Amino acid sequence: MIKLQNVNKYFYRGEPREVHALCDISLTIEAGEFTLLSGPSGCGKTTLLNAIGALDGIDSGEIYLDETEIGSLDEDARTTLRLNELGFVFQAYNLVPVLSVEENIGFVMRLRGFSDEEIRRRVLEVAALLEIDNKLKSLPNTLSGGQQQRVAVARAVAAKPKIILADEPTANLDSNNSQILMNMMRELNEREGISILFASHDELIMHSVRRVITLNDGILINDHKL
Amino acid sequence: MYSLIVKMAWKNSFLRPARTLLVVAMITVSMSMMLGIQGLYDGMAENMIDKNRRSGSGDITFYAKEYRVQKDLKYRIKNASAIKDELKNMQGVKSVVLRVRADGLLSTARKSSFSFMQGIDIKEENHFGRFSEFLKEGEIKLENGDAVIGLELAKKLKLHIGSKVVFSTQDVMGEINSVALKIRGIVQTTNIELDDGAIFIDIKDIHRFLGTSSGDATQIAVVCKDEGLIGRLQTKYGGLDVKSFLELQPMMKMMQDIMFIFNSITFFIVMSVVFVGIFGVMYVSILDRIREFGIMLGLGMHYKYIRLQIFIEAMFVGLIGYLGGAIFGAILLIYLRDYGVDLSSFSDALEMWGYEAIIHGTIKISYFTTTFVAIITASLLSVIIPLRKIKKLNPIEVIKAEK
Repeated sequence: MIKLQNVNKYFYRGEPREVHALCDISLTIEAGEFTLLSGPSGCGKTTLLNAIGALDGIDSGEIYLDETEIGSLDEDARTTLRLNELGFVFQAYNLVPVLSVEENIGFVMRLRGFSDEEIRRRVLEVAALLEIDNKLKSLPNTLSGGQQQRVAVARAVAAKPKIILADEPTANLDSNNSQILMNMMRELNEREGISILFASHDELIMHSVRRVITLNDGILINDHKL
Repeated sequence: MYSLIVKMAWKNSFLRPARTLLVVAMITVSMSMMLGIQGLYDGMAENMIDKNRRSGSGDITFYAKEYRVQKDLKYRIKNASAIKDELKNMQGVKSVVLRVRADGLLSTARKSSFSFMQGIDIKEENHFGRFSEFLKEGEIKLENGDAVIGLELAKKLKLHIGSKVVFSTQDVMGEINSVALKIRGIVQTTNIELDDGAIFIDIKDIHRFLGTSSGDATQIAVVCKDEGLIGRLQTKYGGLDVKSFLELQPMMKMMQDIMFIFNSITFFIVMSVVFVGIFGVMYVSILDRIREFGIMLGLGMHYKYIRLQIFIEAMFVGLIGYLGGAIFGAILLIYLRDYGVDLSSFSDALEMWGYEAIIHGTIKISYFTTTFVAIITASLLSVIIPLRKIKKLNPIEVIKAEK
């Protein structure tokens, strides 16, 4: 489903402070996987996640999402790809503050042109799964951090993307909320069959996933299934 | 999706209500003041033009060729009555008057001044331009040696109601003739030429005095509804000097142009204020929410929809300000139209230049339509620079900054 071939990424290329952020990375992530990109801070996890998520370009190599080579797409096509194929969960939740929980969950679906009825049905379904169905009319700033992150997950899941990219989703949560969130994401992965790729060094996530890819200084040093 | 964009735009417009309301108040106040000033400027100009038209040339005036240069009775229109009858029967003609003018010297026992006597038919003048409304003092009485005089001429010669004067001029035979007149009324037409130099008597009396025939006139003035009429009249009466109001009164045209320039400058200043106000609030608002826009781009929202949302936000602010400005502006304009601004303390100077001491405003729909277009344009232009910031936005930078 996702295939990386000899991916290289540099920061400050050609300058004395050049950093080789991703070194010749090649890997494949199949549909329905529940995977973690792991490694110490600055090892390149987020850079790799952003490259896979068509948020950032690479300097050489190829990234395929099914048959589409992401590097060959222009900015507009990348935006469309993100909208139609990918879901994102960020560390800081990043909900739209003026929209209610219900509207936030349905945000991507609405951008994709789903009907009002489809959006309503799906929002209720996902909200129930993530146990935020009693908060649908609330504004994000009235929710706890854990609830906000569940809304962000619901938003990512609602439009049924091929893969969800979650960058440090538990970093702002306490261990209890982190555990709840991971259980829910695992359930979503199993029930909906959506691939989820985390970038994190959280032990809790490491124990929840079924595959761990470890990076160090931009080099893939380990890839094992649990 | 568009309903979501409109909803986000509306809610974001009032994300910081105090800031938005301040800009709305700024637009409301500046726009209503601008409308008031426009109404007053136009009211001044239109009032002056209207009175000049009614008391002087009408919409179209006929003179004999050479009369405007020589002002001599030998250049009078000899078949004026017949032309008047023809004109009255023409489509588009509302009213026609004949006038006879003789330049001469007006004297009291102590002072004298160059002036001109104008023979008029008061009944027809009232139909033509409501002449009696120009009365400032006394009564409009023109028969049997009674006369009405222009305000500034009366001041110059220190004349009052009941004062006696002698007017001397050359009659149609070239003889010097004089007539004694009693001032029965003082008029203020705001037509500088008339107020400064005219003494009005009955047209029959002036014919007797000058020895002209009752069908003669030095001027035929026409009020008409049809702007294209002048071309037809110029062709039909090629032997006469047929002129439009603005051709005869270039000062009025100049005044109209000056008022237009004043209004344009005021308009430009106010629109600049609106532009800067909306620009300020939108720029700060967008900087405040730069992370939100970055995330939206990251989630797959195309830039064109973000641009649309921001345009709508700016339009909401502009439109609310416009509505406030239009309501308060309309109230101000209605007040100025009905009650005017009393500048009596400057009346001498104003009257000398043909203005009334109480200036009334005018109301035109174009004030509101032009301002609407300008405010919407200013609103849309004001977000171009903030939008460029979003266009250059890299979602990753925003997401990183939040870590």
